[in-house]
Amino acid sequence: MRLALAIAALGLSAGANALEAGAPVPALALARLDAPSRSISLASLRGRVVYVDFWASWCVPCRISMPALDALYRRHGERGFSVVGINKDVAGADAERFLKRVAVSFPLATDAQDAAARAFDVKAMPSGYLVDRKGVVRQVHRGFTSETAAALEREVENLLEEAS
Amino acid sequence: MRLFLALIAFALCLCGCANVAPYQRGYLAREDMALDANPGTLRALEKTYAAKEAASGGASVGGGGCGCN
Repeated sequence: MRLALAIAALGLSAGANALEAGAPVPALALARLDAPSRSISLASLRGRVVYVDFWASWCVPCRISMPALDALYRRHGERGFSVVGINKDVAGADAERFLKRVAVSFPLATDAQDAAARAFDVKAMPSGYLVDRKGVVRQVHRGFTSETAAALEREVENLLEEAS
Repeated sequence: MRLFLALIAFALCLCGCANVAPYQRGYLAREDMALDANPGTLRALEKTYAAKEAASGGASVGGGGCGCN
């Protein structure tokens, strides 16, 4: 009985970690994909609306999400919108091959030790976390379709209107 | 004793299990992780086997045993 309770408690605690809307964004420093010695700090993006996107070359919907996010970044970057793409490929060469076909202009990071994926408790690929200017996660998108892109456009515009 | 051994065997089997998180599926996408690494060759082999053994449909494929489909 006690064992069963312990197992149930473990299961519950594992499920409770998922990062949802309303939670503060984890203050992570991520190594850049193009220059691993340099880092991207999520805390330093406070004051901007940020979309943290977990992507990989083997993730089929990422072929839709990456160009959509790039277009969004190009449209709203100057108004204070940032995108951070966290790559989850096992081999860096796979990411490079993907980026040759789907080039993006926003900063990309690696997560070789899964620290970021664990901190966000990523439940699906791709997963995107829309963070407001105060550093609070406002929207979580798991999976990506053309409807997601349209919804994200509205959400980003609304958040950019909000005062910091 | 037998139950104890069975439990040990079960526990050892569990050691072979691993949870693959959604973001770790790159490992499953590797070519050497595929159940049939070369689907084209496998299909040709299955077709030849079915024709030679007059066993078309034996591998859950509809049709007769003439080897012509």
